[in-house]
Amino acid sequence: MIQLKNVSKIYTTKTGKNPFKRVKSEKLAVDGLNMQVEKGKIVGLLGVNGAGKTTTIKMISTLLEASSGTITIDDKDVIDNRMDIKRNVNMITGGERMIYWRLTGRENLNYFGQLYGLDLNVLKPRIESLVKLVGLEDSIDIPVERYSKGMKQRLQIARGMINDPDYLLLDEPTLGLDAPIAKDIRAYIRKLADEQNKGILLTSHYIPEVEALCDYIYVLHNGKLLYEGTSKMLATQVFDTKKYIFETSELSETKMKAMYAFSDALGASVCITKEEGLHKVNFESGADCHKELMNYIHQNRFLIHNFRVEEADLEASIIELSRRLS
Amino acid sequence: MFWKSLKATFLRNFISQIRAYPMSFFVGNLLTALYSVLSAWFLYHLLFNGKLDDSFSKLAGTGDYMSYVIIGSAVYALAVRTCLNVSRSLVTELREGTLESLMLTPFSRYGYFTGNMFQQTVTSLCEVLLALLICTPFGFSPEAFQPLQFIIALGASLFAFFGMSMMLGALMLYTRDTYISQNTLFIFMYLVSGVLFPQGYLPDVFVKIGSLIPLGTSLEVIRASILGITNTVFTESIVYLIAIGAVYSTIGFISMRRIEEIALEKIFG
Repeated sequence: MIQLKNVSKIYTTKTGKNPFKRVKSEKLAVDGLNMQVEKGKIVGLLGVNGAGKTTTIKMISTLLEASSGTITIDDKDVIDNRMDIKRNVNMITGGERMIYWRLTGRENLNYFGQLYGLDLNVLKPRIESLVKLVGLEDSIDIPVERYSKGMKQRLQIARGMINDPDYLLLDEPTLGLDAPIAKDIRAYIRKLADEQNKGILLTSHYIPEVEALCDYIYVLHNGKLLYEGTSKMLATQVFDTKKYIFETSELSETKMKAMYAFSDALGASVCITKEEGLHKVNFESGADCHKELMNYIHQNRFLIHNFRVEEADLEASIIELSRRLS
Repeated sequence: MFWKSLKATFLRNFISQIRAYPMSFFVGNLLTALYSVLSAWFLYHLLFNGKLDDSFSKLAGTGDYMSYVIIGSAVYALAVRTCLNVSRSLVTELREGTLESLMLTPFSRYGYFTGNMFQQTVTSLCEVLLALLICTPFGFSPEAFQPLQFIIALGASLFAFFGMSMMLGALMLYTRDTYISQNTLFIFMYLVSGVLFPQGYLPDVFVKIGSLIPLGTSLEVIRASILGITNTVFTESIVYLIAIGAVYSTIGFISMRRIEEIALEKIFG
């Protein structure tokens, strides 16, 4: 399990044009973060730009050292066991960097595989299977500088899995990919967690991707943990009301009045509109009153044409959060 | 891990170089050596009329000025080419965006840098040998060539250059600059290391500073092995080269590790 306990990161930079009079400035990028990623789970890390997502990932990957707090992976401290951790963790970022453009895709994978100390009898079949996975069979032997953006990204994904890590840190992994390839990659990420028991930490600006993949979500803002939980829990925390919408045959005046009284009794609000011979009822409540509402409908013999519960999705939750914080 | 990193880095560089090495760069390297020798040839024959006073023979240990200069230029080229490429290897990774992916791996730093050095040595030696062939008509006469001494001298020199590369590499990565640091050092090396004239002609302060740069001692032992110069304390010089290489490598590796961290902080901070 990846575990972060009270982790903070302060960047110290020197600014100023005069090289002899440079002013030291500090920037708190991550502030007392606690989080964990279990094996077999996909955990999302969300937040607007500058929230501290990438810094967090780089600290877990050993690229950056935390200013305070501890990061452990399978109970090993990432700083004290740097080499072991590197063998067990890999990172994939979006974009076209992190690969050698003058080498072919195969030469890149071969190079990185050897830096991980893999024997050729392990490395060769692994390269073949990764190439197949990311769909680069036809272009694996041409120099990367001739690849399209999407092809470079696919090679990046293969590079990130070359050491068969127990934990994968994915920073915008499907950035720039065509929809079908992105879908395949998402399915593979899910498979990695479910079938190969890998722990995955994912950041993405593509919220439906996070919603579809992540078992648990952390939301950062200015380096601080703002929310944690499942996407449903997050929606509940952000939006304090739940909407029940149904269409029924025309309601009598008496039934409408009774409906208003019922909603008042539950502390909910109701809005009834007439549309094409039907009444559309918008029932909004802070608490879960699904059961009460169903009983009421049944007892009063409403003729229901359709019924749905409208819950806020993750995207709406994040937009609402950003709106509140801005 | 050492051998895997070494082999992988050697092959990676070799492939990259074959694929992207511009012919003009290769010709340029040869011409640089040729121009140095031509300048010396004109100076020697047109200005000095082929005559040098006794002080040269006394300080250089040989009266064969053209061979002295040709070896000087060739070894200088070798030192610059190896130092240049090994020292800028990490700053190049930083510029090309591959430093992070490299640092994510548990690669052997010794293997990585040795692979860089080894590949660069092979390429540079080919260039230097070709330059020597081209310069031979200008008066290169390796009549007293002693192969074993030469191999020892070359090996010790390369080790010392490697150490210097590591220190320079740490400085380059810290400043993210390859031009000022390397060019300043290389011009200074050219001036104080006895490439065109013996160090004995220089003021004491330059001789003392020059002794911190292994090229001067390296030139002494390589010239001794090719020209049969006898006034060189060969063994002591070899020990000095190995010692200075070890000291510089140690300082370089220690500082490089810290500077890698600073460089990564600078990327994100």
